[in-house]
Amino acid sequence: MKTSVVGSRVVREDAWGKVFGQTKFPADVNLQGQIYAVVIRSPHPHARVLGINSEQAMSLAGVVAVLTAKDVPNNSHGVLFRDQPVLAEYIRMVGDPVAVVGAETEEIARAAAKLVEVEYQVLPAVFDPEEAMRPDALPLHPTLRPTNVLYHMPIRRGNLQEGWAQADVVIEKEYSTQHVDHAFLQPEAVLAHVDERGHMVVETATQYAHYDRGEIAHALGLRFSQVQVKTLAVGGAFGGREDISLQIMAALMAWNTLRPVKMENTREESFYSHSKRHPMRMHYKTGATKDGKLVALEAKIIGDAGAYSSWSINVLRKSAVHASGPYVIPNVSIDSYAVFTNNPYSGAMRGFGAAQTVLAYESQMDLLAKEIGISPLEIRLRNLFKVGSTTATGQVLTGSVPLDQCLAKIAPYLQRGGDSQ
Amino acid sequence: MIEIKLVVNDKPYTLEVEPSERLIDALRNRLGLLGTKEGCGEGECGACTVIMDGKTVNSCLVLAAQANGSVITSIEGVGNRRSPHRVQKAFVEVGAVQCGFCTPGMVLSAKNLLDKNSKPSNEEIGIAMSGNLCRCTGYDKILRAVKIAAEEGKE
Repeated sequence: MKTSVVGSRVVREDAWGKVFGQTKFPADVNLQGQIYAVVIRSPHPHARVLGINSEQAMSLAGVVAVLTAKDVPNNSHGVLFRDQPVLAEYIRMVGDPVAVVGAETEEIARAAAKLVEVEYQVLPAVFDPEEAMRPDALPLHPTLRPTNVLYHMPIRRGNLQEGWAQADVVIEKEYSTQHVDHAFLQPEAVLAHVDERGHMVVETATQYAHYDRGEIAHALGLRFSQVQVKTLAVGGAFGGREDISLQIMAALMAWNTLRPVKMENTREESFYSHSKRHPMRMHYKTGATKDGKLVALEAKIIGDAGAYSSWSINVLRKSAVHASGPYVIPNVSIDSYAVFTNNPYSGAMRGFGAAQTVLAYESQMDLLAKEIGISPLEIRLRNLFKVGSTTATGQVLTGSVPLDQCLAKIAPYLQRGGDSQ
Repeated sequence: MIEIKLVVNDKPYTLEVEPSERLIDALRNRLGLLGTKEGCGEGECGACTVIMDGKTVNSCLVLAAQANGSVITSIEGVGNRRSPHRVQKAFVEVGAVQCGFCTPGMVLSAKNLLDKNSKPSNEEIGIAMSGNLCRCTGYDKILRAVKIAAEEGKE
């Protein structure tokens, strides 16, 4: 097959607007008569909002409205489950939004936000997912799950007992990874207004315009056809713009005040308001014969979902599927969990659960090689997936599996032995 | 309010600014020069880079009042579709542009380097671009684009 596109260098057409600074990101659009809205977020990881007093804030000249949970027709959103409040009365993490202030200028809105008094009943919080998994731990989403275990994915293959019996070397270790923020360069921003048709128009940077539209319509109690989401230039996302951020709050303010509403996160607010990469705790036990053939793997992966579901189920499913790495292992037992805690919620981020397990399974390979006395390259060559291999999930690989070619290319750059510190 | 006079992209302006107003606010809100981007507001990311009196500055860390009497180049003052600056042309051709939010600042840092040093070494390019973050992590192509622009400028 001949094509003039694949393999050729193509100039991306949007690049020109970007090098001249002409490209419009959401912070770059404005409307006549717009007001600015600022979010008040919880400083507590677990609490109940007992009362919100906005009298002082409302008395400040230039303040247009203060909206709270009571002003949201359907107070929920979320990509898998609508378990996240638009404006919270029950706080599950630091940064949960409790009120939005709209004012004539951003300065007034920020000053007014400081005058809104929120009374909290602070509750004990759980930050360790293994602690949160205990049956006696208070469930954070009792209507969704009876415990904090949002998801469990077991994978079983072969017979683990036989696997251990064949193993000459067994390495057992625990690995852990930390929260990571996408830190996309453009902080979240929105411009929302009710247009001449009476439609809610929301301009923003999102990975899911159609999804945002449904979420805004749901929360505001509008029909889909009454909501239009326009995606402007997206200044980086990496998964962090899959969950909705300011869009519903801006739309709610615009719907209530009938004024165009502009919202822009500072970098600090951005850190507080969007998802993080799942921290994972990975217990790995891997067995190999003295010839360096993998015979058994037992893995337990606990992903910290934080306060809300977001994409945790899909992410921890991917962790489970990738837990054995690109290696043939005949006897496998993998258990992957997503667990609610009062930490910032975890969601999509580049690699989507597959990235964390690399640390565990590749470290195990290096340690096994060292123990057996072969090079890190050699142990990989003896176990890697080829066409016809069966994965831990039972998939027979029939397509392109060029791992051997990849290793052959990098082999000259590796120092044999002693490179597995 | 404070009165300031400054030259932006070869045009003289007299502005009334707030004492706490930052240069980025004056450029974006008073002059409508929206190509200057705010990524962090604390001088870490370099998205708000402009050239002020021949030096690159983070316009989020400069008060508008401090820019009184200065000559400023923002991205709007560099090239256009008919005649792009060689840095802009190289960025597009090499593929050094991804989400584009860092791009205006990157272009200005590169332009200012080449204005002063027509034959920068790789190390000099690296140092000149070190104040600008790209979270899409396209650094390799960005540095290559600056190199190509530099070579194009040598005659």
